[in-house]
Amino acid sequence: MKSSATSKRRQGAALKTSRQAATKPADDKTPRRGARSQQTRFSSRLRAWGRHHRSMAWDSFQRLVRYPLGNLLTMLAIAIALVLPAALWLTLDSARLLDAELDESATLTVYLALSTDDAQALRIEEAVNAEPSVLETQMISAEQGMAEFQQSLGLDDALAGLESNPLPISIVVRPESVEPAAMQQLASQLEALAGVDEVRLDLAWVERLRNLAELGRRVALALGVLFGLGVLLVVGNTIRLSVESRRREIEVVMLIGATHAFVRRPFLYSGAWYGLGGGLLALGLLGLGNHWLSLPVAALAASYGASFSLPQLDVTGSTILLSCSTLLGWLGAWLAVTRHLSSIRPQ
Amino acid sequence: MIAFEHVGKRYGGRFEALAHLSFRVARGEMVFLTGHSGAGKSSLLRLIMRLEKPSRGRVVVAGHDIAQLHASQVPFYRRQIGVVFQDHQLLFDRNIFHNVSLPLEIQGVEPREAARRVRAALDKVGLLHREKALPIELSGGEQQRVGIARAVVNKPALLLADEPTGNLDPQLSADIMALFEDFNRIGTTVMVASHDLALIARLHHRTLRLSDGRLVADEGGV
Repeated sequence: MKSSATSKRRQGAALKTSRQAATKPADDKTPRRGARSQQTRFSSRLRAWGRHHRSMAWDSFQRLVRYPLGNLLTMLAIAIALVLPAALWLTLDSARLLDAELDESATLTVYLALSTDDAQALRIEEAVNAEPSVLETQMISAEQGMAEFQQSLGLDDALAGLESNPLPISIVVRPESVEPAAMQQLASQLEALAGVDEVRLDLAWVERLRNLAELGRRVALALGVLFGLGVLLVVGNTIRLSVESRRREIEVVMLIGATHAFVRRPFLYSGAWYGLGGGLLALGLLGLGNHWLSLPVAALAASYGASFSLPQLDVTGSTILLSCSTLLGWLGAWLAVTRHLSSIRPQ
Repeated sequence: MIAFEHVGKRYGGRFEALAHLSFRVARGEMVFLTGHSGAGKSSLLRLIMRLEKPSRGRVVVAGHDIAQLHASQVPFYRRQIGVVFQDHQLLFDRNIFHNVSLPLEIQGVEPREAARRVRAALDKVGLLHREKALPIELSGGEQQRVGIARAVVNKPALLLADEPTGNLDPQLSADIMALFEDFNRIGTTVMVASHDLALIARLHHRTLRLSDGRLVADEGGV
């Protein structure tokens, strides 16, 4: 289809050329020149568009710098609105790390019958390992179990009085999936194996932490949405005022043929600058807060014999924060200007 | 260039600004529009600029039925029309040069070409030496001439003027009108709304007289 259309066009051009050649023998460039002027018109329009974007970006930046205090306050309001969800997001991020450790600690313990000897136990472990949903296993002999028991309870004397070891051989199983249902199913499968006395799994606390993490995630999301709306409103209100203060200018340029996009452009850039400035301030505030809290947190962790450092925004996180804030500023400006433009009628 | 066909314009359902208005203005004509204040001169110009649509009838300008224009086409339509306002509508935070170059900026004319055209327009109205001045530093007559330079800088086919000599003394008014005649001579269609009857009478151009939104006289011209 396409090639036939092109060839037809080419034929037409050839026809035109030959016709022109008949009247004006020397001038065979005419059709090509026409195409080229079409192209330059498009590229010159593109250049004009780019030029206006650059000049408006610079112009709105200068307007921002001209009234530093008021604009800084606007950006600070945006920054404060961004800091809370960002901080929560960081906390959530570290909680997700905890969550990963949590998953690793979610295990099943398979207790073998008391009469099982080591060779039987090995065969049972092989059978457990053969289950497709088992990730790895660790055998704990009766002696090992006893040692751990003594260590954790500190009941050396009482236990030493026992004639024989009452503990069975056990196998600790790390399942592939830590979903409660899957673990439950695996437990009943393992229980059915010959020589297995009992399978224990403690899901309640895993479940609880899981729910807590989910709660945190949802709260962070809701706060993010709310404070994002807050940023929209702050930028929207500021832009509304600046549209109002430049109303006459807008009326004049609309009278002499400015498109809505042309009128909107400087305000969109202002909004984006506000957002970017607010995002940078938010990064600064987060860094400051981190610095402010890091000492007591480190001391607290040390007193528990652990090392813990506050989570910090990495390059990706910072980029995401800045992009989001810039985008929110732009969007807020867009909403404000669009809503306002419809109410501005040149007189 | 301009055709009004049985045009009526009502505001708020009651007040009839224009009624049964029919006339034509040919390409390259120069026309005065007169009438007491409130006769409908401004409404008529607002229709041509497509600030409003007619309530009845048809307004066709440069081949466009203005009621059929989509909102997105209106800016491009307005670029064909140069408008001179009574209060000249200059922007006070930018200098004369940038005021005049505004229409070219809007159309995305390349800066060097724009500067050339702005200087040509300023030269035409005799204000080339003031290009760096702010509007506030100019006299009323000079401000009006800047307004005219801005209206003609993109070489519009149609030049509208709404009471361009409203606040000026007779000598300055005559100068301004002479400028319009110059632009008309090079082919621009010019329509000037004015109630300066003495000045209009001296210039011998076609004159449309409105009264209570009706065309009561269409005289003179060729």
